[in-house]
Amino acid sequence: MRAFRTMVYRQLKRFFRAKSRVVGSVSNSLVWLLFFGLGFSGMVRGYMEILAPGVFAMTIFNHSLMSGISVIWDREFGFLKEVLVAPASRKESIAGRIFGDSIVAIIQGVLILLLSFALVRMDPLGVIPSIVLGFMLAVAFSSLGVYVAMKMRSMEGFQMIISLLMLPIIFLSGALFPLEAMPGWMRCVAYANPMTYAVDGARFYLTHRSYVPPTIDWIALFVFSVVILFIATISFERETIE
Amino acid sequence: MIVTENLKKRFGNFWALKGVSFRVEEGETFAFLGPNGAGKSTTVHILTTLLKPTSGRAIVAGYDVVREPKEVRRRIGVVFQDPSLDRDLTAYENMLIHAGVYGIDRPRINELLEFVGLGDFRDVVVRRFSGGMQRRLEIARALLHEPEVLFLDEPTIGLDPQTREKIWRLLESLDVTIFLTTHYMEEAERLADRVAIIDGGRIVAMGSVDELRGIVGGEVIYVRASGDLGLGERLSDGRIKIEVDRAVEFLPKLFKLAEERGVEITEIECRRPTLNDVFLHITGREIREDGGDWIKSAIARRLRG
Repeated sequence: MRAFRTMVYRQLKRFFRAKSRVVGSVSNSLVWLLFFGLGFSGMVRGYMEILAPGVFAMTIFNHSLMSGISVIWDREFGFLKEVLVAPASRKESIAGRIFGDSIVAIIQGVLILLLSFALVRMDPLGVIPSIVLGFMLAVAFSSLGVYVAMKMRSMEGFQMIISLLMLPIIFLSGALFPLEAMPGWMRCVAYANPMTYAVDGARFYLTHRSYVPPTIDWIALFVFSVVILFIATISFERETIE
Repeated sequence: MIVTENLKKRFGNFWALKGVSFRVEEGETFAFLGPNGAGKSTTVHILTTLLKPTSGRAIVAGYDVVREPKEVRRRIGVVFQDPSLDRDLTAYENMLIHAGVYGIDRPRINELLEFVGLGDFRDVVVRRFSGGMQRRLEIARALLHEPEVLFLDEPTIGLDPQTREKIWRLLESLDVTIFLTTHYMEEAERLADRVAIIDGGRIVAMGSVDELRGIVGGEVIYVRASGDLGLGERLSDGRIKIEVDRAVEFLPKLFKLAEERGVEITEIECRRPTLNDVFLHITGREIREDGGDWIKSAIARRLRG
């Protein structure tokens, strides 16, 4: 557990040292919430209730998927070797790193969620289960980010894959419009997207409206995040410098 | 402490190591000396468990690097050629993370930072450190878990002479088995008990610095004289080159000979062969002294297409 705790510590330390990053990451979500949300509300009544849990999930998703890039930086600046040559279990180290990034993502998600309460009427009791769901979401996509970073190796390759994934995952998660508004085939694809269950679950607890039964949300998200985490740790275990 | 048997490594269809065997005894400082691309870093990466050899065996601190990498990792400290610090964290935090991933309960962080002369920079972010300071921090970090063997891959590459001197003094004061690679011959001459000269993935010579000098011969005397002395070979610049076993014994004879022949000696220079002479003697090429030259020639090659 020591290596796990150490890597969590490292990710948190790095995040809080870069204060501009904290502000930058939240401001993007705020743009969605304010300009996109308020604009659309004029067209669709009660749109803010639909959007707010979605933006919460999007904030977490964005940060966690992008966090994989730090693996590439570590390769460039050599810190990866320090981890690879250490006797600690590599699975433990990378899991620690993924959890550290997930905590950072949750901090940002919660920040934006609290800001949303100023704009939208939501159930404050929904915050706690939403944080737990959000954390699983973060683990799923931090793991995916780490996995992509390990496969692609270059900054350009990573960014290409991420930008390819980013928008489809957001649009096919129900974050911006509810699942019931999608055509049937699109909804089918959305079911294969872990983010769908985080958005739906958070929406259920915060606004008491949802499409998928909450139990399914919990189970599906849990299974997704465990599986992707597992894949990421295995691929890191096999990492060499070749 | 380190034993390798016929270590080979292939990348695609390029053989980086073509069968390398050597032993390093406990307490010894052993240097791999060779030009860029000779296979030095590949050897370090195999011995530190980061690369698997294509064939051959390597035992470090009593454990096989392929079969028991974890046991090896626990017992070695590594300073890689490129820095491997977290530049966004302070010196202290880098040490603390190292203690964490090595499972050290009461790390002597402050003590080691003092030892390498970074006591006053404990809480400074590594990004602000000079190259020499980063190197010293990496050495302190590599010592934190009290390794049995310390690996140093080109420890002073790209550092200015004063900083190199500082690092050398630091390394000389250590009481641990050291495996180091370098392409600076004075670094090997200064630090190493034994040296292996490596070229093109093979060890071409191995022994103490004196033994290696012996390959070239004893010493070389360059003489400029007014006439013929009847020995040695005449160089293009008019000097005469004489290879002898011991210059101190030969010089009186030389003066006597000159007097007998009525030849006046105007200039005399004695040189012990350097490791560069040894390398030249064996491979017919020089070890590139300066990494910059190598880069320049690589760029020139690329420009030429």
